[in-house]
Amino acid sequence: MRRMRGDLFRPHGHAAERVGFISCGFGVSDDGLLILGRDYHPVEDEHYELDPMVGARFGSAAIRSALQIALSNGVGIFHIHCHEHRGEPRPSRVDWTEWAKFVPNFWHARPELPHGALVLSTDRMSGWCWFPGQNDPIKISRFTIVGQRLTYWEAV
Amino acid sequence: MTNFQARQSFLGQESREILRNGHVGIVGLGGGGSHVAQQLAHIGVENFVLCDPDSYEDKNHNRTVGGTTADVDAKTAKVRIAQRLIGDINPKASVSAVKHRWQNALPFLRGCHAIFGCVDSYTERDQLERLSRRFLIPYIDIGMDVSKVESGHVVHGQVVLSLPGSLCMHCFNFLRPDLLELEAREYGQAGGRPQVIWPNGILASTAVGLFVQLILPWHGDVRLGSAVYDYDGNRHTMILSPRVSALSSVVCSHFCGLEGEGDPFWNAGDVVTPTVQAGVKILHPDASATSSI
Repeated sequence: MRRMRGDLFRPHGHAAERVGFISCGFGVSDDGLLILGRDYHPVEDEHYELDPMVGARFGSAAIRSALQIALSNGVGIFHIHCHEHRGEPRPSRVDWTEWAKFVPNFWHARPELPHGALVLSTDRMSGWCWFPGQNDPIKISRFTIVGQRLTYWEAV
Repeated sequence: MTNFQARQSFLGQESREILRNGHVGIVGLGGGGSHVAQQLAHIGVENFVLCDPDSYEDKNHNRTVGGTTADVDAKTAKVRIAQRLIGDINPKASVSAVKHRWQNALPFLRGCHAIFGCVDSYTERDQLERLSRRFLIPYIDIGMDVSKVESGHVVHGQVVLSLPGSLCMHCFNFLRPDLLELEAREYGQAGGRPQVIWPNGILASTAVGLFVQLILPWHGDVRLGSAVYDYDGNRHTMILSPRVSALSSVVCSHFCGLEGEGDPFWNAGDVVTPTVQAGVKILHPDASATSSI
């Protein structure tokens, strides 16, 4: 989390914010799907495109890198970016529009797995998961951060 | 301020909520696990998965918290005794009591925030740690033994905290190929290790303390990582094993790689999408540090 936050809040030459990807495994618990994120993959500096209309726009090279991770490792890919406030973050209209465009790309590499998007705030997280063949994402209901401090909470 | 908050106020204003929402798995509800269940119920944890295939017998009566002579006569399941104990302490607690091997309760255990392993065999410890790593669950293992020596007996034991992303029980040389191989040759039978109530109480208390420290750290200078605590029951001491500092710069090589998390046989068809709940677990890379206690 610290490395991820450190990268996401790092200034970029022209992009107003940074984004990245988390590779995830999956499993089923007694009350639903478990999405298990371990590795954070930052978008390379040169993969950001100039677009003053949005906080960050990444190009096809960034998507290709994420697809390669999914393909090589058999993992789902979750896009992540930050909103700088406390509490549960809500995606903007631009977030929803962009997710709808690029999340389906991940099924080219791993059609059998869910993929999705996460938004981080300074103390919470929200997320949505797209199942294969489903247009509407499922809101992620519970979060656990596993580390020297174990943190867990339920989405509002 | 309620009595509960007053008693545990040093854990912070949100401690009651955090404890109440905690989901813990306890595997083995004998001498060690029964203590763990009792203490977790007292501090306010409200969601339990209890796994033990055994029924209560006379031989368990010297060490199992909550067991009665009536349970000996009735051959009550150990998980039912623990469930009753938890319910008497906190009637609101939700308990999934599984009177089977824990391998039959995987969906319940995968959703836990921490798993306490209170089992006899190295093989089961190995399997429990593998499950915990795969599903990013902190694993806390306790065990004791009594060894005969020339001058009498040595009571000893250990508590191991195994955090995903940090050193594992293989790194600490607690699980070794020769021990696992020996058990495998004996079809997984660890044999009945001598158990007594007071060392189990100390080991269980340390394990519960580690869990509370993980979710409600009460001192900023203490940063938990994977660790082994050695118990000397003859001198009545519990110390951080010298193995921990000796391995402070070592990175676990037994559990690593992108493909390691989750169920390798899972596919999206296993879940009925319209009703599914999704939960996310993310590994905090700082877990790679070992304990600084």
